[in-house]
Amino acid sequence: MTELARMIATKAVSPVEVVRAHLDRIAALDGDLRAYITVCDDAALQAARAAEAAVVAGQPLGALHGVPYALKDLYDTAGVRTTAGSRILSDRVPARDATVAQRLGAAGAVLLGKLNMVEFAHGPEGLNPHYGHARNPWDRAVHRIAGGSSSGSGAAVAAGLAPGALGSDTGGSIRIPASLCGITGLKPTYGRVSRAGVLPLAWSMDHVGPMTRTAADSALMLGAMAGYDAADASSSVLPVPDYLAGLTGEVKGLRVGLLRGVFGEGAAPVVRAAVEAAATALAGAGAVVDEVSLERMDLVAAAATAIVGSEALAYHTEWLRTRAAEYDPPLARRLRLGAFIGGARYVRAQQVRGLVREEVDAALARRDVLLAPSTPIVAPALEECEAMLGDGPADVRAALIRFTRPFNLSGHPACTLPCGFTDAGLPIGMQLVGRPFDEATVLRAADAFQRLTDFHARHPVLA
Amino acid sequence: MTADSIDLATLRHGARLAGFTWTDAELEELRPLVEVTLRLLRALDAVPLGDTEPTTQYRTV
Repeated sequence: MTELARMIATKAVSPVEVVRAHLDRIAALDGDLRAYITVCDDAALQAARAAEAAVVAGQPLGALHGVPYALKDLYDTAGVRTTAGSRILSDRVPARDATVAQRLGAAGAVLLGKLNMVEFAHGPEGLNPHYGHARNPWDRAVHRIAGGSSSGSGAAVAAGLAPGALGSDTGGSIRIPASLCGITGLKPTYGRVSRAGVLPLAWSMDHVGPMTRTAADSALMLGAMAGYDAADASSSVLPVPDYLAGLTGEVKGLRVGLLRGVFGEGAAPVVRAAVEAAATALAGAGAVVDEVSLERMDLVAAAATAIVGSEALAYHTEWLRTRAAEYDPPLARRLRLGAFIGGARYVRAQQVRGLVREEVDAALARRDVLLAPSTPIVAPALEECEAMLGDGPADVRAALIRFTRPFNLSGHPACTLPCGFTDAGLPIGMQLVGRPFDEATVLRAADAFQRLTDFHARHPVLA
Repeated sequence: MTADSIDLATLRHGARLAGFTWTDAELEELRPLVEVTLRLLRALDAVPLGDTEPTTQYRTV
């Protein structure tokens, strides 16, 4: 995206050519990949023509002028249906843009369409019975999951059907598909990016962020989106730094805590080896790497289950009473579960959340970032239900969110990026976790790693 | 009924208290999930929380 923005601004390429090339690629490949729910062909071309006219006229250009992108289909878009991957909202057409869609549009970005996702974002595998399962583009022989819930965002960016996209992350739904699809994804600090106009899964756990091919592209998108929004009660008033300017490529002296304990033992050996190799690479570039464990991780599953279960039920109560048959049955069961959690356990979960947050803060008191695998496994096949981890077998669903969910609970920023490939050619992801509102350091470290390696530059071979 | 099991009458009562009138068949489908989840949530009851206050938002500064 950074390169496209530069080329468009210097008239090296026309926004119309760029948008048309993406629309052609979507038409050619998305029948199989199922990354999109809605493609905005005409509107995208119209916006691209206007962007081209502005370039030719020498008008001031936004940071993303003429650059195409796509939105997970839970961001409100004025005049464009927003389904949340559901039957219940299959005909819903919002009157207004979500704040972030409005901000990206104001920066000149051109919306290609709305991306497939897990129904109402409730699940990490990336499956959708209503609009089809998005397919991981890295394996043409076996249908592997793209991961979720932002499955279409992961598949689209990896397959070149969009240079960048937005996902949302309640238990890992930016980082899991980014990890399984071999791209970069940033979950900013809670409060850094407005959630206004984004359909919720669990208000206190939901985060909005970019999914791109590089950390620099995530920095570009974040800079255009971040900042206070009165429409989001949890929005921070902290100023937004120039994230792109902070990408110095320098990690000398950066203090990196390699997470051990469950983050080490709980990962498949190939994933653990790739993350350790990444730590070695960062150390080779001058980072100071040590090891650290987080002892309260065993509480995360219970606390997150209580919080997400309660908040999701609160949002879905009316539809569960009146339109329950329109949910995918397993989702209806998961939503109904919230009725049996109880108010006191919800509050205890929020107390536990405070303890987890304190522990992550303490680990970062003497370190700049923490390093861990993003997911303990690479992309499983569609029918796989069990995964073999370093500490034994585990349900795939539970395994996928094992390393990401702690930082939804704590609210810390976390960026996933590719750090290796299996012998079968499947991408492996690592995440860098930073101090609250210090996305700049997280992105600097991620960008520096991408200057040291070429994992992010590899793309799946597609027909 | 063991500590890890929950009977249909209890499920029915819990659902009604929460404002839902689900059928017995729907509640039976839920039963395994409820049992597993309540077992998981017991971990919260065992945590010494002291005077830790509940966190509902991160730190919106």
